[in-house]
Amino acid sequence: MTILLMGHPNVGKSAVFNRLTGANITESNYPGTTVDFTEGHTFIAGKEYRIIDVPGTFSTEPKDEAERVALDILEEHEDAVVIVVIDSTKVERGLYLAFEVLERGYPAVIALNMWDDAERQNINIDVSRLEEILEVPVVPTVAISGKGIYRLVEKIPSATQVDIKDLKEKISEL
Amino acid sequence: MKLEPEERWRLIDRVARETVQYGAEKTTIKSTLAELTVKPFTGIPFAIAILYGFWAFFNAFAGFFTDGFFVPLFDDLWLPWIQEAFPLEGSWFYYILVGDPAATNSFEAFGILTSGLFVAVGVVLPAIVAFYLVITVLEDSGYMPRLAVLVDTVLHKIGLHGFAVVPMILSLGCNVPGVASTRTLETKKQRFMMMILLSIFIPCGAQLGVMLSLIPEYFGYIMLYLLAGFFVFGWILNKVVPGSSPEIMTDVPPFRIPTISNVSRKLWVKVKGFFTNAIPFVLLGVGLVNILYLVGAIDWLSNILGPVFTGWFGIPKETVAPLIAGFLRKDLAVAQLSAIEMSGFQLITSVVIISIYFPCIATFSMIIKEGRNSGGVLKVLGGSLLTLVTVVFLWGGLLHLIGMILGVT
Repeated sequence: MTILLMGHPNVGKSAVFNRLTGANITESNYPGTTVDFTEGHTFIAGKEYRIIDVPGTFSTEPKDEAERVALDILEEHEDAVVIVVIDSTKVERGLYLAFEVLERGYPAVIALNMWDDAERQNINIDVSRLEEILEVPVVPTVAISGKGIYRLVEKIPSATQVDIKDLKEKISEL
Repeated sequence: MKLEPEERWRLIDRVARETVQYGAEKTTIKSTLAELTVKPFTGIPFAIAILYGFWAFFNAFAGFFTDGFFVPLFDDLWLPWIQEAFPLEGSWFYYILVGDPAATNSFEAFGILTSGLFVAVGVVLPAIVAFYLVITVLEDSGYMPRLAVLVDTVLHKIGLHGFAVVPMILSLGCNVPGVASTRTLETKKQRFMMMILLSIFIPCGAQLGVMLSLIPEYFGYIMLYLLAGFFVFGWILNKVVPGSSPEIMTDVPPFRIPTISNVSRKLWVKVKGFFTNAIPFVLLGVGLVNILYLVGAIDWLSNILGPVFTGWFGIPKETVAPLIAGFLRKDLAVAQLSAIEMSGFQLITSVVIISIYFPCIATFSMIIKEGRNSGGVLKVLGGSLLTLVTVVFLWGGLLHLIGMILGVT
């Protein structure tokens, strides 16, 4: 089973990756640190998962070489579960990529990373409501300190595909 | 089922309205500072102060360990001891491993166990540690993208944009990750330009370390000349290479205080990489050059290339040997210059030539690897070699000319 870590540049994918696998790949505070993919392995509930840290991408329409790599990885792993890592201070943007991933039929889990930053900036996110609407597990995380990573892992097996047509109808009725 | 972008945004808008509330944002010292560092009027002095501060740290740290510890250790204890204790003085074996039995400093002995170890561990290791400490802090604090915003206008003049400063800074550590990071640039043209410019004009941390230890008095001139070359040839390449140089938009992340755990982890990865990838190459380089000396290949090459060296570049023909070592490691090549008799200006010229004549083997393989995604290997390779030859002869020759005009040759 393969897990892909996807998200915008500089949202903390590599930090999540290092926490999940115990690896030592480079984490920095600037967009575009990761330009190639790195994979590692981890055990979740006794099952071995292969985890790939995908270079940051804004959408699934690549505009540079690193984003091209990201799209190729996504398309190569049709049966993967995707952890969409979102910057909690920029939820809307992150959801755009999450939608694209769901539309392509991938089961997904959303990590609302940099949760501490959002708290500091007085941004309130109703996590359970978000879960309810999207029907996708949503977990607040602070990857550099490891907060929420355990819960993120627990949710991975419960990720399922989402019917976009239903989702669309549901959201339109809100 | 796939949605149209407008439809997607409409749905997201609704979801966000239902689940996200934005409160008033407090102004903090961090956010004020963050604001000031991207405004040109305050940002440029800030950038100069930061870079100077880091530079001073690099200098002090590397100097402390190299001059304060490793130089006495190697010159006063290790070198005399091994010159004495190593058997078979006068044999080729002694020559390769220990080098010159009469040498009084570890730069000049040039054996694997003398200069090889000294350059790798005594000079380059402290430089690498200091440099990556600085780079890591730059990376983790979120300062890099701010620097990118500030230098955007300047880099646009040569067809690049602000974010090209990231590969430049990474290359100051090592050209290999520098070349890899050109992937974040948008067009093939930009990637090609950046790869070739940085592999020619940006000296790596290892080379900087040796330069700083060996010729601190010429350091500034050399860097200035290389940086000028970067912009002159960047400007030319921008005119000559077909393709576009689009504007970009980038996120500037908030300032964060680097965590000790992440800084130390990154530093450890770099140092480990240095021990496994770089040190063997330094030792191998010394061995190879010594063997080439022994079989007469260096003398032969010196005599053939001598007229070009003395006539065109104004440097001694013996500089051939360091140039050969430079294929493997540039730090080693610069170290080797210390054993050659020459004037200060010739030393400056030689270091410049060593920097620009050809990328080291590790960088060169990375260019080949990345070339696949940047317009095809043959095109990139051909373009690189053409640029390289032009740069070496023009920029190297120009320095000789400057020397003649100034009357210092």
